[in-house]
Amino acid sequence: MSEVILKQMGKTYPNGHTAVASLDLEIAAGEFIVLVGPSGCGKSTLLRMVAGLESISTGELLIQDERVNDKEPAQRDIAMVFQNYALYPHMSVYDNMAYGLKNRGIAKAQITEQVQAVAKMLELEALLQRKPKQLSGGQRQRVAMGRAMVRDPKVFLFDEPLSNLDAKLRVQMRVEIRALQRKLGTTTLYVTHDQVEAMTLADRLVVLNQGHVEQIGTPMEVYERPASTFVAQFIGSPAMNLIPSKMVDGKPALDVDIPVACPHLLASSVLLGVRPEHVDIVPLSETALQLQVLAIEALGAETLLHGTLEGWGDTAPTFVVRLAGQHQPALGERIGLRVSPEAWHVFDGDTQKRITQCN
Amino acid sequence: MSVYFPQKWLPYGLLLPQLLVTAVFFLWPAGQAVEQAFYQEDAFGLSRDFVGLDNFIALFQSAEYFAALGTTLVFSVSVAGLGLVLALLLAVMADRVLRAAMVYQTLLIWPYAVAPALAGVLWWVLFDPSIGPLALALQTLGVDWNHYLNGDQAMLLVVIAATWKQISYNFLFFLAGLQAIPRSLIEAAAIDGAGPAKRFFDIVLPLLSPTTFFLLVVNVVYAFFDTFAVIDATTQGGPGQSTTTMVYKVYKDGFVGLDLGSSAAQSVVLMVVVGLMTIIQFRYIERKVQY
Repeated sequence: MSEVILKQMGKTYPNGHTAVASLDLEIAAGEFIVLVGPSGCGKSTLLRMVAGLESISTGELLIQDERVNDKEPAQRDIAMVFQNYALYPHMSVYDNMAYGLKNRGIAKAQITEQVQAVAKMLELEALLQRKPKQLSGGQRQRVAMGRAMVRDPKVFLFDEPLSNLDAKLRVQMRVEIRALQRKLGTTTLYVTHDQVEAMTLADRLVVLNQGHVEQIGTPMEVYERPASTFVAQFIGSPAMNLIPSKMVDGKPALDVDIPVACPHLLASSVLLGVRPEHVDIVPLSETALQLQVLAIEALGAETLLHGTLEGWGDTAPTFVVRLAGQHQPALGERIGLRVSPEAWHVFDGDTQKRITQCN
Repeated sequence: MSVYFPQKWLPYGLLLPQLLVTAVFFLWPAGQAVEQAFYQEDAFGLSRDFVGLDNFIALFQSAEYFAALGTTLVFSVSVAGLGLVLALLLAVMADRVLRAAMVYQTLLIWPYAVAPALAGVLWWVLFDPSIGPLALALQTLGVDWNHYLNGDQAMLLVVIAATWKQISYNFLFFLAGLQAIPRSLIEAAAIDGAGPAKRFFDIVLPLLSPTTFFLLVVNVVYAFFDTFAVIDATTQGGPGQSTTTMVYKVYKDGFVGLDLGSSAAQSVVLMVVVGLMTIIQFRYIERKVQY
């Protein structure tokens, strides 16, 4: 059963700017959906539309089969964790968590019980009487989550909740959020621009670009079969190498032999993609695919080689190789590369979409 | 941060102009007032007798003085209360305006630039029983408006004039205070099930409390001490004593009644009140209201 359904939902502002264009998405009960994309892609607007903080211009939003387009945020039975936490500064941690329950007229004894239970789960028991400004960033984050959890809503909404934390805490909270969500089984919509958060948290990813959905899928689907060049470059770090090329009679028209076959493409321009981590080094004698090394980034566990590809006709496209361990080629040196046939991705040169009938 | 000057005299030299102004226009007259408070002087200033605390004793035994104190309290509470509530209302509405917000804000701030005496004259004309459009409008509604005869109406008039002048100032601070409240707090409260009124009283008002307290002190000080011009331009303290506040009485007794000793004693009392208010202001406002 679908918990949340977005039917051709869109947002157009009075000034004509379309923040989100007609979006379809069915979210299963208990599913963890991550909306990911660069800033300005409409992901926060989308979340705020689900929350009821922005009006829905077109389409429908259903929560448990009930149309909620015109309902107030409070009536939608959702809870939201804000980027800046939005804790009420004049209320104690306890009052922050109890506020939503009080407004719903729940008995005092039950409020205490529910707040205590959540506080215990989040290890906030010792902090209940403190004011938000007496808490550290991580504790505030936890209170914000506690405030969302205490009402046991139908849907959790997270708006970049980890972006105000330092790197170490972010990793820790990421793991905690995932574990809590699994434990509670609450349907979750999570917005982030961080692809690592997106990959690690999501059951399914929604990759957004300029208000349009580029791809919806599990993290591995999105990584292994990106639907467009945008997704290919947005998910994965460093970004996928994309090399422009011509297809003639189903084969790339290049000096080097690229093991890609698209029998139906008789003459068209394409982009050939390969992830930096899917490239191996082989002796020069074994391959015509060669990289002239122009810069080396040694990260200890891995090494990134930046350079240009040789044997690509007149153009010498830039290319990145990611190798495990440590390598120290000389700058300007040529090294031989090998890419297994299944590691190549082919995108249409005009539409930027993946061409699926290749290989 | 400390700054060190190579020459010892330089810092004193730089302070001198301000110190001179303070000495000539504040310390000297204040000293004169304190001295005067202990003397009885004849109306022509030809002779004076040292009378000790007689002026103060007479003051605190005078029913008129306590009447003035009562008038001042009514006036101050009305001006401060009305000024704060109306300014907050206007600020909340201006904060919601999306189009041409600057125009509204600028228009609301303008009255502050009007000189107090002009503000007084403006309202005096508007409410004049024989020519004032507002007074005539009230008369057609059946209200017999004549602030020359009716003390309550006179009080209402000075309260309106003094409040109108102060609303701009309060509005400015309230608007800044409102704009400093993060939108996400209001949104969080909306998700938490609080309606607009509840959000205002539960979230906005408590977060505005430092601003409100600051303005309360400033408004009370304003109503106590800075409304002489407004009262002088509208009612001259009348009819009878009905709009004679403590500050206005200082002027009336001293410069109209020529009882300089009593006037000076009243000034000293007011100085003590100002001192107390300043202490309150520094004590609490510097620390802000806790939340």
